[in-house]
Amino acid sequence: MGDSQYSFSLTTFSPSGKLVQIEHALTAVGSGQTSLGIKAANGVVIATEKKLPSILVDETSVRDISSLFFHKSQPFSCLLFRCHFLILFFFLNYLWQVQKIQILTPNIGVVYSGMGPDFRVLVRKSRKQAEQYHRLYKEPIPVTQLVRETAAVMQEFTQSGGVRPFGVSLLVAGYDDKGPQLYQVDPSGSYFSWKASAMGKNVSNAKTFLEKRYTDDMELDDAVHTAILTLKEGFEGQISGKNIEIGIIGADKKFRVLTSAEIDDYLAEVE
Amino acid sequence: MSRGSGGGYDRHITIFSPEGRLFQVEYAFKAVKAAGITSIGVRGKDSVCVVTQKKVPDKLLDHTSVTHLFPITKYLGLLATGVTADARTLVQQARNEAAEFRFRYGYEMPVDVLAKWIADKSQIYTQHAYMRPLGVVAMVLGIDEEYGPRLYKCDPAGHYFGHKATSAGLKEQEAINFLEKKMKNDPQFTYEETVQTAISALQSVLQEDFKATEIEVGVVRKENPVFRVLSTEEIDEHLTAISERD
Repeated sequence: MGDSQYSFSLTTFSPSGKLVQIEHALTAVGSGQTSLGIKAANGVVIATEKKLPSILVDETSVRDISSLFFHKSQPFSCLLFRCHFLILFFFLNYLWQVQKIQILTPNIGVVYSGMGPDFRVLVRKSRKQAEQYHRLYKEPIPVTQLVRETAAVMQEFTQSGGVRPFGVSLLVAGYDDKGPQLYQVDPSGSYFSWKASAMGKNVSNAKTFLEKRYTDDMELDDAVHTAILTLKEGFEGQISGKNIEIGIIGADKKFRVLTSAEIDDYLAEVE
Repeated sequence: MSRGSGGGYDRHITIFSPEGRLFQVEYAFKAVKAAGITSIGVRGKDSVCVVTQKKVPDKLLDHTSVTHLFPITKYLGLLATGVTADARTLVQQARNEAAEFRFRYGYEMPVDVLAKWIADKSQIYTQHAYMRPLGVVAMVLGIDEEYGPRLYKCDPAGHYFGHKATSAGLKEQEAINFLEKKMKNDPQFTYEETVQTAISALQSVLQEDFKATEIEVGVVRKENPVFRVLSTEEIDEHLTAISERD
């Protein structure tokens, strides 16, 4: 990972024992668009603001790929399933458009706050790690393993020579044999499991709001409504299906990104 | 007590500043503006057009060698605004990548795949200290088999988006304001309208009327998906049409 010209790390300890580059990376995350995640009793929801820089940006280049993905992941048999898994990943890396919530495996999704380009790199690495696990063990990667490996990559970039830390925090949402799970991974590479969390610009208000509203026996639909209300709190302008993104995973263990029509339906229910 | 900016290196290589910014990337954006050229790209219903200024600083220069429009493959074009030397290396690498893609996968590299590749390469330069970010904003254009005409803009930070219309360079913000007004109601421009919108946007933002030799125009059209640089005669026709229209 280290570049030969830079055999020394750029992230070094300050006299007070802090790693300032990581702190700066967290500041970069804190100025990114708000995103949040909520773990319900029967699923997980992650959501984010999606404010495009200008009306000239092509919205259709912000495409919903979950329709393609559904079709590909029906397991007819073990062998075919594996082929479809691979085809899915092949397509995923080429179909990336400006969609902030991304699928890592059929049952794990991820959203970020911070620098988009850094996020793309992490998504690509995580997908590859998930696929390598699958090739070795012939079963889907558990959420904790994937989070751990992604976090390890992020930690590498805080210690290797000639690189800077990633300027993103991730919220990983998944559903496997252990049930619904939500993890937050920071630029330092540390990760925690959360019942509900937020990151980005409006983080303190969002977290206070979530603390008040969260209950352990929440259903997925309630969680989606709560997520929308939390985003609405700090939202500048008119919230609609076009400027937020929501991803959910339920007991069916299939992660999908909601279409803007579905989001508008939820918004109408919330009004 | 934190040492603040980590020894002041945050301005020299791409590490974070205390406010969480990457100064080298921001300076790369400034380098794009310092080149003194403005470029505009417009996407129509079945064509894409990019326009840029052609400034030949010295009469002794061979003006045919002064260009910012580069074909990457027969079907993909790239308009590089900013530092010309960085533009040339980017074009060289992009050409190589597109040719390898065609060889490896058996079909032409789509526009968005090329744009993503350029953006991912730019991201690497923002994270690894051994290479500085390139001072180039690249506009990639082509006709996608499924989605039709496509225009993407990639910047030194590693961002890339598809655009209905966009601009880069010195008067980027003014041009975008102009284009936002024009594209507000999602007009479906014909080929002629696309080219004329792009040229007239440039003229209005720079507040001068151009001669055909002072601008470069590149187009792709659905009926002829080859990337083409317009000749001075064709540019003249469009300029005349614009002045007659006004």
